Amino acid sequence: MEEIRIKNAFPTQETAEQRGTWTELGDYFRRQSIWMLMYCTGCCAIELPQAMTTVYDMERLGMGPMATPRQADVLLITGYLSLKTLRRLIYSYEQMSEPKYIAAFGPCVLNGGIYHDSHAVLNRLDDYLPVDVYVGGCMPNPESVMNGFVDLMNLIKDGKATGWKRYRDNHEWYRANQIAAVGEVFVHDEFHE
Amino acid sequence: MREIKLFLGPQHPGMHGNTSVHMYVEGDIIVKSYLLPGMLHRGFEKGMENRTWVNNLALIPRICVVEPDINEMVFAMGIETLTGMEVPERAHYIRMIILELARISIHLMAYGGIGGPTGHYTMMYHAQADRNTILDIFEKITGHRIYHQYIVPGGVRKDFPKGIEKDIVDFLDDLASRYTEHRDLGIDNPTIKKRLDHHIMLPESVVWELGVTGVGMRSSVNKPYDLRKVTPYARYSEIDFHVPTSDYSDATCRVDIKLQEVVQCIGIIKQCLAKMPEGPVRTKLEGNGLRWKVPKGQVYSAVESSRGEFGYFIVSDGGTKPYRIAVRGASFPQGLLGVEKYLPGQRMDDAALWFDTMGVCSPEIDR
Amino acid sequence: MMNSMSNIELVKDLKARYKIINADVVRDTQIAVDVTNGDVHSVLAYLKSQGWRQLSILTNIDWIDDGEYQLVYIIFNWDNPIWVQVRTRIDRDNAKFPTITSVYPGAKYYERDVHEFFGVEFEGNPEALQQLFLEGWDDMPPLRKDFDAKAYSDKKYSKREYTTDFNTKEDEK
Repeated sequence: MEEIRIKNAFPTQETAEQRGTWTELGDYFRRQSIWMLMYCTGCCAIELPQAMTTVYDMERLGMGPMATPRQADVLLITGYLSLKTLRRLIYSYEQMSEPKYIAAFGPCVLNGGIYHDSHAVLNRLDDYLPVDVYVGGCMPNPESVMNGFVDLMNLIKDGKATGWKRYRDNHEWYRANQIAAVGEVFVHDEFHE
Repeated sequence: MREIKLFLGPQHPGMHGNTSVHMYVEGDIIVKSYLLPGMLHRGFEKGMENRTWVNNLALIPRICVVEPDINEMVFAMGIETLTGMEVPERAHYIRMIILELARISIHLMAYGGIGGPTGHYTMMYHAQADRNTILDIFEKITGHRIYHQYIVPGGVRKDFPKGIEKDIVDFLDDLASRYTEHRDLGIDNPTIKKRLDHHIMLPESVVWELGVTGVGMRSSVNKPYDLRKVTPYARYSEIDFHVPTSDYSDATCRVDIKLQEVVQCIGIIKQCLAKMPEGPVRTKLEGNGLRWKVPKGQVYSAVESSRGEFGYFIVSDGGTKPYRIAVRGASFPQGLLGVEKYLPGQRMDDAALWFDTMGVCSPEIDR
Repeated sequence: MMNSMSNIELVKDLKARYKIINADVVRDTQIAVDVTNGDVHSVLAYLKSQGWRQLSILTNIDWIDDGEYQLVYIIFNWDNPIWVQVRTRIDRDNAKFPTITSVYPGAKYYERDVHEFFGVEFEGNPEALQQLFLEGWDDMPPLRKDFDAKAYSDKKYSKREYTTDFNTKEDEK
C-alpha cells in the first residue's frame, strides 16, 4: 500500500483555499445550518440523543437530524468500524451531495483504540474516507461533541474543511485502498440469491 | 401483486443500533425476512483471551452498550464462585442500587425509542431528559457517564460520595410525580394507542419455542419468571418487590409492564438506601493484581437484565488469563429466529416498531 | 412432572438412568455432567420432558492440547431453578455432530454461530453452513486457538505511524 500513496492526498496542514466571493458568502451562511445524517455506526452514538435533546440542545447551533443522505451535510462516524459497516458507509457517503463533511468520534478510528488487536475492526479511517474533524474521548461526553461541532463550523467558515474536494480529486487512490481492504464495494443479498 | 425486495438498512431513522433486515414485501405485508447481524462484531471473545483477568475489566462494559453494568456484575459473580471470595454486606446493597438505576435508565430509553418509528419525538425528548439526570448521578459516583468499571470481583471500587443519597431520593420523587405525565404523552394517547393496541402479538407457544426471556415471557405466560425472584443474587431475597405479569401480550401490554417495573425499581432503591449497613466495600485481591490467578473450573452466571437473561460462561484453566468466555446475549432468540419466523405477516410500518417492543439490542447479538 | 428436586437428587437421578462420565456440583443452583456423544440427545429430551424447557446457550471450548472440542449445552427450568450443563467431547480435526433442533428449535442459530467460529458441522441443519456474522472471510475459523488475531490485524489493516515511540519497557506476559 505504500507504493501507491499519492503525495497530495495527505496534506499535513489544512490550507485555506482560494475561494470566490459567492463561495465565501455561501460558506458563511452554510455553517449555521448543518444537517446530520441519522446513522449510528458504533458505541459513541449513545451520547447523541443527549446532545440532540433538551439538556445540551444541538438545535441552537442550527444542527438537526435528517433521514436521507441526499439532503444531509455531515456524516457522523461514531465509533469503531468493521468491514461490513464500511461497505455500507461508502454507499451512504457517495450518495450525499457536495459540499459534505465527515466528523469522526473516538480513538477507534484514529489508531484502533481498544480494539487494535481485533480481526474485525479497522485501524485507521483516513485511508478510506476523508475526515475533517476528530473528537476525542472514550466515549466523548456531550460537551466535547458540541465543541467538535463548533470547530467544524469554524473550519467551514475559513474554507479549510475540504475533505470532499480531496476525495473527488484523488478518487482512484481512495478506491484502490477500499478495494484492497473490503474486496468489492457491493452489498450482496446473499440470503435471497 | 409482485414481491419487492427491500433493505430495512442500517441507515434508518427508526432502527435501534446498526443491523439491517432484508425482506420481501408484497403490497404492505412482509412475506419473508432475515436479519443481517455482524456489523457491530468486534471479536470480544477472542480479545478477552489475550488480556489478564484484571485488564478485562476495561473491555467488558463495551459488549452491551446501553446497559453496561450487567456485564461487570456477571463477570464478578462468576469469578467469585470460582475463587470463593466473600463480598462485604455494604457492597451487595451498592451493587443493587447501581443495577436498578441502570434498569430505570434503559426502560426510559426504550420508552422514548417508540418516538422514532411512530414519529412522536416528544416522547423521546421527555425520556432522555430524565435519563440525563441518572447519567449525572453515575458521574458523581463512578467518574464516567456510561462506562463505569465500578463493580469489580470482590465488591465495588470505592464508596459512595457524601450527600449522594439526597440526590438519588430527589430524583426518584421527581420521576414518580411525573409518571402520569409520561403515560398521557405515550401509551394513553389515542394516536399511539391505535398504533400499538392489538398489534405485534407474542403468543405463549412462540415464547417456549424461541426461548424468549424477560418482559416478553412475563407478559404472555402470566407467571413471575424473573431471575431476581427465582434464583436471588446479591441481596434481593431481603427486599420486598412485586413482578408485574399479564397474559395478553400485545405491544401496549409490554410497554405498560416496563413502566410498572420502573415504579417497582423506585421502591427497591429506597429500601436499599434505608437498609444499607456501614462497613468496608471491597475485599482486596491477594498479591499482585496483574499476576492474579483464578482456580480451574467452568461456571455459568446470569442476571436479569431489562431484556431477559444475560449470562457469561467462564472457563478457567488456572492461569492469569481466561481460557474461554462465551456471552449469552439476552436478545439472541428474538433477534435471529424471531425475525425469520414471526416478523412475516406484519405490516411494513410495524417492522421498526417490532424491534423496539420486543427488546432487541444489537451489540449483544454480535458481540 | 417432578416436584422440586435439589441438585444432589438430580445428579443421582441422571446417574441412575444414563452413563455419566463425570458429574460436578458447581453451586447450589448449578450442576454439570459429562456424557458420551450418543447420549446427548436422549439426556436433553428426558430433561425437557421434566420441565427444563429453556436452552440458555450452546457453545464450544477448544482444548488444543488434547486435540478435542468440548460442546456445552446449558438448560434451565423456571419451576425448579437449576442450571444443567451437559458436556461432551468430539474430535477436533474432523468435527461433526448431529443437530438438536428437534428438541430445542431455538438451537438453530446457536449451531450456526458455533460453525462459523470453530468449524463444527452439524448434520441435519443445512442452513448452518452459511456465513452469518462475518462477510467474505478468507482465513480459518477465528475462535480457534491456533488463529492469531493480532497478526491478522497487522497484515490486513493499515496502521497509523507515529514519530515518537511511547513504549518505555517491554510488557511481561
